[in-house]
Amino acid sequence: MKNRKKLLAALLAGAMTLSMGATAFAAEAEDGYAVKATNTEATSPDNDLVIAIEGSVSSMDPANIPDTNAISATRGCYEMLVYFDENQEMQGQLAETWEVSDDSLTYTFHLREGVKFHDGTDFNAEAVKANYERVIDPENNLRQRRNFIETADDGTETPRVESVECPDDYTVIFKLTKAWSPFINRLTQFCIISPAALEEYGNDIMNHPVGTGPFICTEWEEGDHTSFEKNEDYWGEPASVDTVTIREVPEAGSRTAMLQTGEADMVYPMPADQIQAIEGNDDINVMTADSNIMRYVTLNMNLEPLSDVRVRQAMNYAIDKEAYIQVMYAGNGTIASSVVPHIIPGYKEQEAYTYDLDKAKELMEEAGYADGFSLTLWGDNSTQEIKGMTFIQQQLAQINIEVEVLPMEPATVSDKIYVEPEEAEVNMWYVNWSASDFTMDGSLRSLLYSTMAPPTSANTAYFNNEEFDSLLDEGLATADPDKQAEIYGQAQTIAWEECPWLFLASDQLLYSTKSYLSGAYVAPDGAISFANAVLAQ
Amino acid sequence: MAQTNKNLGNNNFAAAEELPKAKSRVKEFVKKFCKRKTAVISLIFIIFIILMAIIAPFIVPYAPDQPDYMSLLQGPSSTHIWGTDEFGQDVFSRLMVGSRLSLSCALIATIVGTIGGVILGLIAGFYGGFIDSLIMRCCDVLFAFPDILLAIAVVAIIGPGMVNVMIAVAVFTVPSFARIIRSATISVKGSLYVEVARSLGCKNSRILFVHVFPGTIQSMIVNFTMRIGTAILAASSLSFLGFGANVTEPDWGAMLSTGRNYLNTAPHMVLFPGILIFLTVLAFNLLGDGLRDTLDPKMN
Repeated sequence: MKNRKKLLAALLAGAMTLSMGATAFAAEAEDGYAVKATNTEATSPDNDLVIAIEGSVSSMDPANIPDTNAISATRGCYEMLVYFDENQEMQGQLAETWEVSDDSLTYTFHLREGVKFHDGTDFNAEAVKANYERVIDPENNLRQRRNFIETADDGTETPRVESVECPDDYTVIFKLTKAWSPFINRLTQFCIISPAALEEYGNDIMNHPVGTGPFICTEWEEGDHTSFEKNEDYWGEPASVDTVTIREVPEAGSRTAMLQTGEADMVYPMPADQIQAIEGNDDINVMTADSNIMRYVTLNMNLEPLSDVRVRQAMNYAIDKEAYIQVMYAGNGTIASSVVPHIIPGYKEQEAYTYDLDKAKELMEEAGYADGFSLTLWGDNSTQEIKGMTFIQQQLAQINIEVEVLPMEPATVSDKIYVEPEEAEVNMWYVNWSASDFTMDGSLRSLLYSTMAPPTSANTAYFNNEEFDSLLDEGLATADPDKQAEIYGQAQTIAWEECPWLFLASDQLLYSTKSYLSGAYVAPDGAISFANAVLAQ
Repeated sequence: MAQTNKNLGNNNFAAAEELPKAKSRVKEFVKKFCKRKTAVISLIFIIFIILMAIIAPFIVPYAPDQPDYMSLLQGPSSTHIWGTDEFGQDVFSRLMVGSRLSLSCALIATIVGTIGGVILGLIAGFYGGFIDSLIMRCCDVLFAFPDILLAIAVVAIIGPGMVNVMIAVAVFTVPSFARIIRSATISVKGSLYVEVARSLGCKNSRILFVHVFPGTIQSMIVNFTMRIGTAILAASSLSFLGFGANVTEPDWGAMLSTGRNYLNTAPHMVLFPGILIFLTVLAFNLLGDGLRDTLDPKMN
């Protein structure tokens, strides 16, 4: 139920998620209370769950998901064959069990029996096939299509799935054209929609969601709220709460106030600087958990001073990462110790660029830039992003690099980033990335693979390292986890030493709940899971 | 600009010919003005702020862009009398140094707008007819928009930035001056001394700038003072909305905007910029009121 779907889409697609930083966060409910409620006896006045979020639920079509909030909402009424549970372990959902052939080419899923869609249609193998066919059809132009298509450098497309077979009602076999290790991870984003509803509504299904989930979507008003009611005929344990409403409240202070007054039961994200404001309330928990959001600044390596690795390293040494986390997240973050966050499987810790101005100045001098130079820094114009950019400006000023901070509308940034290489104006880009499929490939390829430079994808460092590229390709073709770890470990070391980015941090997700709410949590990429929410009565 | 200065010079020269009278008028003005206590206090406050804008960088306790990550968002204390911001920068120092940015922006914009408005008003009032209609109808169109909306529209067209904010503020300053100066021009135009100048064969341009323009100066000064207040507010609003000063600069409006995010945890971040903007705008308006009461012939 968590999240990955977006990721998928985003990964390959590259661009968009990048700047949607705020969307990605993570959490495990067990550990990490930033503030723990003392009043644990509190009860809820009703059985209606209200969640206040920052952004907008911009789609209710699970095959066409632009961001994490849409993942949160669609998971209320839709389910997948497999999903990541609270501990980020893969579990069967609509598939009870599955097998992978030794050559990693054939995936066989044994489906759960007796499951019905909200419209009464039976869930079976044909439904899975119908959904796959809908996604893969170029006519439908769905974002999720990219998950199942391989695009060559010249733009030609090859399906990654050779065939989908249904030998009986409750068995589905996916045959791949070639080994592709992230396949099963991508399926955690593949929601099954009622084939009858698909037939009736086509791509207008977003306004008439019909899935198998524990909730039925009753209203979706983009920009305001999305409502669900309990699905009484759910195949599993029916939901405990009667209704769920996701309210869109952009102003951080208002969200906090809603929680304080009890108007909302859960608030995400909870800005770190608001924690102080709720400390007087005894029935609010503020939860913190690791996220898979990587925060970094890309350095355009085609640009004169930035093409020198000593300069890039000097810049990394000049940034006080601890202060960054303090200023930006009131201490709720982890210093980046590789090009991927530490919770991505395959992460390998690298030797830190510990804040060291002397060393930074020495490297700058060695490179012949003791007097510094000027650069521009682009980024989104949200409060938090501007704050981060200003911090970078202050830090780099210490080694005589004069940074001009240029916050822009997210759409403007995209327009300026995704241009032909010869028109590229980007110097530095303050950005973040979260790979919802939690794979190493998803975390690296779109950002650092040589052919993924704009306009194709988000390699705005214009990082071009043959060894790195071939390691990524090798990793994708390998199914053995140990070998993969070794390959990706090498790739991380190369990228780390070459410094295509200023490595900053992974912030921690912060969300808060009334103490009488349990079972709802935020996954590491920022998707909210509320299927098992319980409001103490 | 040069032309205006030259004409002002001529005007002084002309005034010098009637030395005794001119002197007594200044004295009279000072005497009357001093009776208006609020205006005098406002003037003192404005002088203080302007002085601060000039010397602040040399006397403030901290550099305005000197971060201190160990003391983020601290309330007022003996080390930081107005507290610190989200980077641990000293709010007092930033506001004092920022007065330079905010004031110069408002002043330049108002001066440019005044020059434009005065010239248009003089021409419209003096020549009348089609030119008058053309200029005044254009001004009416501009008047149809609320000031700040017009400024936002201008910035939206030419892009954000401090210079563009000045242009935007100047644009919405023009019509009010044009209208005021036009009516002053029309009344001065009928005066005997203008008739005399005309009968002596003066050229229109000489009549306009040497004889008519000085007659409109009183209304101009009053309106100018008032508009500075409006301009400070407009420039701050535009910066608040993110159209103006670069986010990293210590501009009053930008600081207020940033502080808004910390309203419930660090209210001093909005309190002090807010108070400063409020007092400065109030001071300019009260000064304008005082000047009008003193200068306006109708009030005498």
